[in-house]
Amino acid sequence: MGRVIDRDELGRLSAGSRVFAIGTEESAYRLTLDWAHSVIGSGVELVTAGEADPGTLCVSITLVGSTTALGEQLPAGDEPARAVRALERRLGERAGAVVALNLAAENALVPLIAAAQLGVPLIDGDGTGRVFPLVEQTTYALGGLSPAPLALAGGSGELVLLETPGDRVEELLRPVVLSFGGWGVAACYPMTAGELARVVVPGTVSLLLRAGAPGAPRSAAAPYGVRTLCRGRILAVEGSTGHGADLALPSLPSSIVVQESAGLRRLVRLEAHNEIVLALADGAPVAMAPDQICMISTEGGMVVDVDKAEPGLEVEVMVVRAAPVWHTDRGQALGGLRAFGLPL
Amino acid sequence: MGGVRAAGWEAPITVAELVNAGPLAGARMYGTGEVQVRQVRIVDELSVLGQVTPHTAVVLIGAAAGGGWAVEMAMRRAWEQAAACVIAPSGGLSAGSGEVLAERLGITLIFVDEDPLIVAVRIASAASRPEAARTQLVARCATRLAEAGPSARRVLGVLNAELPGTSVTFLDRYGRHVAGARPTDRPGVERPGQDRPDLDRPGAERPGQAGPDRSGVERAGVEEAGGRVAVREAGGRSLEGEQPPLRAAAGEPPVAASDGATTDEDGRSHEARGERAAGRGEGGASRGGRGAGARWSAEVEVLDQEGGVLGTLVAVGSSRSPGWPAAVRTVLNLAVAPLTAWAARERLRASRDFALQQALAERLLAEAEAEAEAAPGTGTEHGTGPEPGAGAAPGTTAEDGTGAETEARAETGAGTEAATGAEAGAGTGAGAGGPAKAGSKARMEGGARVEAVALGWPVEGELTGYHVRPTAEAADSPLARTLITAALGQVPVLPRGEGWAGWSALDPGELAARLARGVRSMPWPCVAGVGARVEGLRSVGESLLGAEAAAFVAAPGTVARADRMGPAELLGALPTGVLRTPAAVVLRPLLAVDKDGTLLETLAAVLDEGGALKAAERLGVHRNTVTTRLERVKSVGFDLDDAATRLALQLACHVLLR
Repeated sequence: MGRVIDRDELGRLSAGSRVFAIGTEESAYRLTLDWAHSVIGSGVELVTAGEADPGTLCVSITLVGSTTALGEQLPAGDEPARAVRALERRLGERAGAVVALNLAAENALVPLIAAAQLGVPLIDGDGTGRVFPLVEQTTYALGGLSPAPLALAGGSGELVLLETPGDRVEELLRPVVLSFGGWGVAACYPMTAGELARVVVPGTVSLLLRAGAPGAPRSAAAPYGVRTLCRGRILAVEGSTGHGADLALPSLPSSIVVQESAGLRRLVRLEAHNEIVLALADGAPVAMAPDQICMISTEGGMVVDVDKAEPGLEVEVMVVRAAPVWHTDRGQALGGLRAFGLPL
Repeated sequence: MGGVRAAGWEAPITVAELVNAGPLAGARMYGTGEVQVRQVRIVDELSVLGQVTPHTAVVLIGAAAGGGWAVEMAMRRAWEQAAACVIAPSGGLSAGSGEVLAERLGITLIFVDEDPLIVAVRIASAASRPEAARTQLVARCATRLAEAGPSARRVLGVLNAELPGTSVTFLDRYGRHVAGARPTDRPGVERPGQDRPDLDRPGAERPGQAGPDRSGVERAGVEEAGGRVAVREAGGRSLEGEQPPLRAAAGEPPVAASDGATTDEDGRSHEARGERAAGRGEGGASRGGRGAGARWSAEVEVLDQEGGVLGTLVAVGSSRSPGWPAAVRTVLNLAVAPLTAWAARERLRASRDFALQQALAERLLAEAEAEAEAAPGTGTEHGTGPEPGAGAAPGTTAEDGTGAETEARAETGAGTEAATGAEAGAGTGAGAGGPAKAGSKARMEGGARVEAVALGWPVEGELTGYHVRPTAEAADSPLARTLITAALGQVPVLPRGEGWAGWSALDPGELAARLARGVRSMPWPCVAGVGARVEGLRSVGESLLGAEAAAFVAAPGTVARADRMGPAELLGALPTGVLRTPAAVVLRPLLAVDKDGTLLETLAAVLDEGGALKAAERLGVHRNTVTTRLERVKSVGFDLDDAATRLALQLACHVLLR
């Protein structure tokens, strides 16, 4: 039988969710945490995909858009529930559990809010084992499931239901999110618990609960291993080119040059496109997507966002190994370097 | 054009040559560029780099040049393939990280502004016909040298500008710097990283999958730390490592190869190189400090118009290209004719200039003397005299025009010089009359003294004479004058006896100190003297005599001061070598009977000690023995009671026994 995530556990989950999370906005994160506190009540039951009845309808919940926008345009509070209800209406079936799309910061908490609002359990696992910028970049999609139909609820009562081939979801979703005011809560990847058990990256919620416990090592948040690429100082942050021009990613490519402070004193170049997708040491590739590459500030121990990187900052560059499914050919195609436009 | 076809001329062109003097001129290069370029490969996709062969210039286009990351990866892979260099369009990679990586990997990175495809075509042409590229360089240098004309500074400017990566210096025959790059300039001349084998840095990354060429270059790098001679050969061999045996002939240390192929004059300069490199003293040492990169040098002797050695053009560089030193030698040879012309012109001007200044100084002395004779004790008038004279000076020069100032001065000087004899003669001849005094004063104001002021010579106040005397033969008066004025500032330099004399406003102590430095800088062994301090030009003659006397007293290489001279110094100044023969003649009657020298010794002891008693003590014999010996001395005809005889005998003994 699963465990219950109560207020105490919520604190740990939120702490654990930030260990390797990029792109988090402090105010949005605080807000989401407060939101979760207000709805959690006596707690949410955490079950594994295998424990649920295989026929149970599971819905994946994620925040879509800009977290900054979330901090500026506050949610009404009922967005997760409205999105799930809309999907239920389309499917003619009640959702029996919710599952996270990914577990980075706010995205770890929004599914919990949905579960609390709907009174259903939260599945212990997620669809990435890390974060990817696109809704399609999930292990669910790798398992042959479609994100659509997808219901998107906005902060001003908007509700949009998308029904489209899976590979067009992102394209349609983005302008809708923009017109919503920058963010929305999506309910997507409807599937049975049986299907979910096959495609989920399992146990990641309880992993973050452990990683968020006081005194837990950082590596506790990395289920498939983490390594330090280098410690060094950022020499330069440059705009970058050469990423496929037709690629539609939310941000522009940039390049961060880090000089290793000790050891080989290598010149490490972090090629970023929404996130760091490639690390070169003296011109040789040493880490790349689908593994997650992130910079941790030496001073504060916090993850440094690509757009917050500035020359002079001392950072530790860490590589979080992605779930094995991402290292398959199909996984590489969906979340590897080429998915980010780098022709390697 | 035999020199043009020196050995090494057809050797494959190096990356540095492409950038320094070839089709990539003006491109930004990071790294040493020492690797030869045999072919070009255009790379539009990183995967192509796997097929690149050693000594290939990799030109990145399209996706392969599409971003900093792509260029960095291309550099890495090119390095693994032992490519010659990576050429990327500007802007693809920030210069900073490109430079760092080029240095770390030891591969040369070049940014070009032009279309990389056009660049690639040009490199391909230069790589396939290296001699054509070098001929182009020589042609350009010839044109620029012709434009520069006979000026050492401009000629060396052209050489250093057209032969970047190579430091060219013109040294005179004493090895002193005349023009061009100074040893201290070298850091600027050399390219960054050239003399810093990356082995020196801790942690330089050396992955195992090094290309075939890698180990060779690295070995050379290690040997570089050992010594320069070894370095050059190691560098040459490492290049040959993977080459077919046919190349071995071209792979000799490049300079030696080209020397062997040219005339005997060149052969001589080659032989001299070893000792030159070893014995260049300070310059050599300082070069040695940075010298890990100085892998070759080329020297060309420049002869003056009489066929003597004027100096040497020395080019130093660290390029490993076998062809580059040959090209440099050819260009250096082009510079010989303008340098010879320059030297001839300068020498003419200097000697004329020197003669002029010498005449002026003589006139000053003569006039001052005449004046002193004419009006003894009119010192105060001299104090006021020069004021209007000095005021008139600018007028004089302005009149002569602004163009060639030296020329103008020379002409005026020549004119006055011719007149001097007559005028001075007239002045002295007029005797002690009032009008003569006025006349001489007017002459002083408008003539010699004004010129002296213009030259910066001291003509008033407290003056001190000096005298420099070479102790071996020395003919180069212009050089002596240059060195003396370099040490003392603007002072007159007159030939006096075998040496040079003049005066300065410095006090004797300072003058002696500076003169000591000047004497050390002379290419010949010299001594010098400083006279007493006197008031005004009228008394300088006195000081000069003192200086000359002091110079006689000075020990080799030192400076003596007349105001510090006592009996010991006077005695020391005796020209014992000259007096030895007369002394022997004077003492001949004594020496004839003095078989074992005891009589001479006894005579000296008696004269030195002032009596037989003390002499006996000094000699350690009985007084009667001394008396007996003195009797024998008297018996050959010396009257020891005569004071003059005693002095003469004592001098003779001193000279003979010293």
